[in-house]
Amino acid sequence: MNFRKRLDDSTPYLLILPVVIFLFVFAILPIAQSLRFAFYDYQLNDQRKNDLYSNPSYNLRLHDETIKYLHFYLDSEAVSVEKEETTQAIAALKEKLTSYDEEVKQLVPSPQMQPVVEVSEEVLEKIEAGKQELVKELNQLYALEDAFTLEEDIHAVAGGFDESVVQPNFTPTENFEEMLQDRRVRSTMRFTLIFTFISVFLELILGIALAMIMNQAIKGRGLIRTTSLIPWAIPTSVAAMMWGYLYDGSAGIVAHLFSSIGLLSKPTDLLLKSGSTLWAIVAADVWKTTPYMALLLLAGLQTIPDTLYESSSLDGANKWEQFRHITLPLLKPSIFVALLFRTLDAFRVFDLIYVLTGGGPGGSTESISIYAYKIMFGQTRFGYGSAIVLTMAIVVGIITFVYIKSLNVKLMGGDGS
Amino acid sequence: MKRWLVLILVALMVFVVSCQSQDPAPEKPAEDPAAEAPAETPEEPAEEPAEEPAEEPAGDKTEIVFAVQEDSTKALEEVVKAFNEKSEKYSVKTTIMTNDSGQMYDQLLNSLSSKSGEYDVISMDVVWAGTFASAGYLEPMDELMMNNGWTPASFNKGSMDSGKYSGKHYALPYFPDLGFLYIRKDIVSEEDVAKLQSGDYSYADLLEMAKNYKGEMDTKFGYVYQSKQYEGLTVNINEFSNNWQDVAGGLEMMKAFMDEGVVPEDITNYTEGETLTAFIGGESVFARNWPYMNGVIQAGDQVVQSDQVAFAPLPNGGSVGGWLLGINANSEKMEGAQEFVAFLAGPEGQKINAVEGSYLPGFNELLEDSDVLAANKLVSDEGFKLALQKTIARPVVADYAKVSDAIQLNTHNFLTGGAELDAAAEAINEALK
Repeated sequence: MNFRKRLDDSTPYLLILPVVIFLFVFAILPIAQSLRFAFYDYQLNDQRKNDLYSNPSYNLRLHDETIKYLHFYLDSEAVSVEKEETTQAIAALKEKLTSYDEEVKQLVPSPQMQPVVEVSEEVLEKIEAGKQELVKELNQLYALEDAFTLEEDIHAVAGGFDESVVQPNFTPTENFEEMLQDRRVRSTMRFTLIFTFISVFLELILGIALAMIMNQAIKGRGLIRTTSLIPWAIPTSVAAMMWGYLYDGSAGIVAHLFSSIGLLSKPTDLLLKSGSTLWAIVAADVWKTTPYMALLLLAGLQTIPDTLYESSSLDGANKWEQFRHITLPLLKPSIFVALLFRTLDAFRVFDLIYVLTGGGPGGSTESISIYAYKIMFGQTRFGYGSAIVLTMAIVVGIITFVYIKSLNVKLMGGDGS
Repeated sequence: MKRWLVLILVALMVFVVSCQSQDPAPEKPAEDPAAEAPAETPEEPAEEPAEEPAEEPAGDKTEIVFAVQEDSTKALEEVVKAFNEKSEKYSVKTTIMTNDSGQMYDQLLNSLSSKSGEYDVISMDVVWAGTFASAGYLEPMDELMMNNGWTPASFNKGSMDSGKYSGKHYALPYFPDLGFLYIRKDIVSEEDVAKLQSGDYSYADLLEMAKNYKGEMDTKFGYVYQSKQYEGLTVNINEFSNNWQDVAGGLEMMKAFMDEGVVPEDITNYTEGETLTAFIGGESVFARNWPYMNGVIQAGDQVVQSDQVAFAPLPNGGSVGGWLLGINANSEKMEGAQEFVAFLAGPEGQKINAVEGSYLPGFNELLEDSDVLAANKLVSDEGFKLALQKTIARPVVADYAKVSDAIQLNTHNFLTGGAELDAAAEAINEALK
């Protein structure tokens, strides 16, 4: 019987197990992975940093390429030089190169032919000593006076030995220190916060108004509700293109209108002058997402019983008093949810700005998401990009916390103290 | 109770935002290209017809995959056909990438960083070579050149310089490109055309001429070039600043063109497309663009006909552009990849490219070839020849995207009135270090 009871108790957990596994594999693991990047100096365009290295390693592939190239270039030098003495020196250096290569191969065995092999610090020191000797010989060769043609290239190629040495790139604080120094992190963060604050504020005011209109028992209510949702239903990038046409300096009607009533000195300023672009983006965002805000608030409005309004009007309350003392307080949980969703959305804004201005002019409308995207994909600095994204996540956490505290919301009836 | 809720909510939100960061993990090679594939569907149909002719005669030949953008001319198809007929062991299959270069770069990066051998031969914009080479994604080409009896001097110099990283050549030219000046010779006096074509003039002279001739024959602008915040702005400021020798002077000159009103008001939103439209529509006296604009003019049907146009080098030389060929270091069919690259970059492939597609040949000998000269009038034009000699490269560095981004941002910021000259010039010089 005891077993039976235990089975009954655990059934719910068994039932949710697939979901938990799903979440773990598809959400938590990748996130944990990208969080891990934030603590490494991980960037693709440097062979010493293009993976997560926790231990010192040696890049045999690059080593082999370097050896091959040095032989190759020394051979072509041997053809162009004129003195017998130099030819001998080149031959001697080529022998040195071969023996150095053998030495390295002994120190760094690679049975499975992996390109990059983990090695100990002592081995790296030995390799370094051998390399230094080689470079010294190389410099001695070029100290001779002869008709060399590839001096610069040979030195550049020999740099491959240094690049073959991979030091651990686990640098837990470096990315975050760089962020503190990075002026663009500050300017994009500031822009994102300003954009978020202004657009969410406007959306809230307009959203409440729109929700109250949609909640009125008037003729054509269904039509009003449907049409007001259209902007929200259009894909953001399409809407951004559409606004782009409206704002366009040479053919855009909005730009033309604004300049003819004197808001702009010339129509091209709207998208091409820092300052006015912020407002252009805010307007597009407000147009796009106010319906969403209104929809969330409408759901809240509908939960307020009519009886409250009836009894208050019997007590002689006017419309404004009803709004202040009944609608707003009872709407608070909905406002909270709507504000939270919109703030987080606005804070991560990417597609609207990416399509409308691409972050321009001169980076003045670059949001932190766009900057993170540029760092990660344009510049392939995954470590630094992850650090920025992690910081964004923390900022979002703080915003959420502030909302909960300041609105003092009881999310689920009950105790809520 | 409430404290718990707060904690859970905070955790939830952190979670939601983290979901945003697309996971670039190279550890999951299978996922990333798959995730991108659906977004490409509109471009996909182009892939099908290109594949078929290559596959049929393949038989038991080993297949080499060539990642390349769609070619609006027949050159790509012809060159692949010629190779497949010639090669005994290999046949080439082209994978048509998106025409959006930025997206193609992301896609290649995804594939290469996962150490996948999906593509054997890749075509690259000249500015990607430094990044790919420094990351160890490319197989060096010097041995291949030696085996074929070529030296770097056999190929277009600007392209070879763009593919050279730490003493090694990582790429061969696919088709070189360069920026130069287009002139409306029916408006500009013969004397001035001669002066421009000699290359012995400055941007100040050009500004003066643009001011003088603007308005004649219904032109609206004196000069058009590329000034939107994108890679093209790096190219243009490279030319204005004389290959970064005088950044402040270059910025000031660019601004002067805007302040004097000889360029369109929304020049800071101009790319090659707008430049083309303005010039072939007869709206501008001068234009800075790549050779492809001449192809469009030659095709006819434009307001401006080819007998109205002359070419000249830019005052400080034109930036090198175009595409390079590279071999994926993780390719499992290295020998075949090398055979194909040697064919395509060598005299046979380049000749087909030049004759069928009017591309500029990257193999120098072909500049004298009579078939090539007949197919591409540009190559025999004196002004263009001089432009070809006066080319300047963009920086070849491992973190090119970062450098170029900083250049674009600060230049555009200055041009649109968001920053002072000194601050912008200083920031650009800082980025170039």
